[in-house]
Amino acid sequence: MLKIENLHVRVAGKEILKGLSLEVKAGQVHAIMGPNGAGKSTLGNVLAGREGYEVTQGSVVYAGKNLLELEPEERAAAGVFLAFQYPVEIPGVNNTYFLRTALNAQRKHRGEAELDSMQFLKRVREKLAVLHLKDELLHRAVNEGFSGGEKKRNEIFQMALLEPRLAILDETDSGLDIDALKMVADGVNAMRSPDRAFLVVTHYQRLLDYIVPDVVHVLADGRIVETGDASLAPKLEEHGYAWVAERKLAGAA
Amino acid sequence: MGAALLEEFGRGDARAREESWRYSKMALRALAQQEFVAADANAELPETLRTQFDWPATRRRRVVVVNGAVSERYSDLADVGAMVTVGETGGTYAVRIDGKIDEPMQIVYVSIPSAQPSRWQTNTSMVIVNGFVTLIEQHVSLDGAGVLGASRRRIDIGEGARLDLVSLCDLPESMSLYRLLDVHLAAKATLHATHVLLGGRMQRLDMQVELAGEQARLESRGVFALRGRAHADTQLDVRHVARDTTCDILWRGVADQRARGIFHGAITVAEGADGSDAKLSNKNLLLSALAEIDTQPVLEIYADEVKAAHGATVGQIDERALFYLRSRGIPLADARRMMVTAFCREVLDGITDVDLRNRLAGLLVPHVDGASA
Repeated sequence: MLKIENLHVRVAGKEILKGLSLEVKAGQVHAIMGPNGAGKSTLGNVLAGREGYEVTQGSVVYAGKNLLELEPEERAAAGVFLAFQYPVEIPGVNNTYFLRTALNAQRKHRGEAELDSMQFLKRVREKLAVLHLKDELLHRAVNEGFSGGEKKRNEIFQMALLEPRLAILDETDSGLDIDALKMVADGVNAMRSPDRAFLVVTHYQRLLDYIVPDVVHVLADGRIVETGDASLAPKLEEHGYAWVAERKLAGAA
Repeated sequence: MGAALLEEFGRGDARAREESWRYSKMALRALAQQEFVAADANAELPETLRTQFDWPATRRRRVVVVNGAVSERYSDLADVGAMVTVGETGGTYAVRIDGKIDEPMQIVYVSIPSAQPSRWQTNTSMVIVNGFVTLIEQHVSLDGAGVLGASRRRIDIGEGARLDLVSLCDLPESMSLYRLLDVHLAAKATLHATHVLLGGRMQRLDMQVELAGEQARLESRGVFALRGRAHADTQLDVRHVARDTTCDILWRGVADQRARGIFHGAITVAEGADGSDAKLSNKNLLLSALAEIDTQPVLEIYADEVKAAHGATVGQIDERALFYLRSRGIPLADARRMMVTAFCREVLDGITDVDLRNRLAGLLVPHVDGASA
């Protein structure tokens, strides 16, 4: 579904990703762990199409297409979703209106019929019920005045509603208490399916106790330095990222 | 510069006039160099203009002013009731209101271009002795040879009375308009004014409000949304004269392409006007590198025990928010339109009539087209 080869990315003139390669198959959950500054968030932003990230080398193929050529909205319509590490507050734009506009824009782009407000609300209620969310947050402006936890829940709610094929969670667990963390994990687990993939970017192992990944990668200094199964995460937690760096040096020698 | 026009539209001494027209000097000079004939007060009202203001809710509570003159033919005051009296004295059209009027009244200024550039002027006065009234004011025109209008209005709001004014000025590129709104509020009187300024070759709004009686209150909301070469200049001059008076001013501005917007908000709290509360917030969005917005909040306080807060900003569209919307599948142009409309809509929140509010919001949309950068 997603194939990244030898990706080099510069941000403000500084090389952040230095030859990252990664392949995610449909149905899989990949976790990307790594120390601060390793390039984790850069990866998410590049995949979603944020400006200011200059790809100097390498390729990203998603569902047979060159992802890097697409505008952010085209990527969304093609099924790519980024749950933001810092969701943006948009005063004056009602959450429901925003979600309906987004969903219908995606459907229109894909040549599907747009949902009227009744159909849309029905879908919203279904998703709210699955995620145990209150509909109160729908009546407010997008993320405005939301607590950190509410913002992250809103990201997961948007993901549930938009039903992407590739969901990238950029440190969605940061700053969450255990209940919110479980809710995020439940949301992801409920959506796991053979034709959907997840890229879970995280600094800590904690989230991976609830979302058990198929593959765990360690990202350090702009490259994947270690790949393993779910058991890699607790090892990292135990030994710290320095352990990976040492192994890498030992391997190089 | 256009000395004669400056004389006509300016207020205060020569220096004050020069200063207040600083940002619109060029626009005024260009007007001064043009020849205008007197506009035809008996011009036929085109159907396209009628549809712009013909709201069923105000059909029989409506004054229509054609090219500066009150039109008997198009006005209809059948349903205003005994609490409203109208008349004309010395060239001033006068409206007097004494009592609570549940349905809104409407005053429409229609500018119909002639074959050559034309101009009109009008003076109105309004006295609200007591009670409450909602007045919807509208300026409509057609593109053509160009019209220069000048409207001066004095409003007196009596003790405990309230006026809700909703003023919509949606002008074609060839129309210029000078408006003076001079409001005096007695004790416990309230003015809630919402101004929407769209388009225009040059539109200038001078709004001076005197909070003359204790506990008088002004809530001023406004927005200009400008594209093309539109030019809008708003000058607010609020004076707290009596004790415990309040003003709450919230204005927004958006300029795209080569448009020019000016907001000058002056609040003066006179000596002895203790316990006054003055608030001014002005935020602006520049949507193009060639557009310009100038904002100037001015606060002068000569009293003790005053609460005052003011702030003004000129910024650009939040790129992070734009990316957030796009990352959810909303195309760039729609995302921009969504954000700019939301930015402008805030000033309409105080309008309690939902139909009216939605109608105004709908009018904003074509002026905040997301396509241009």
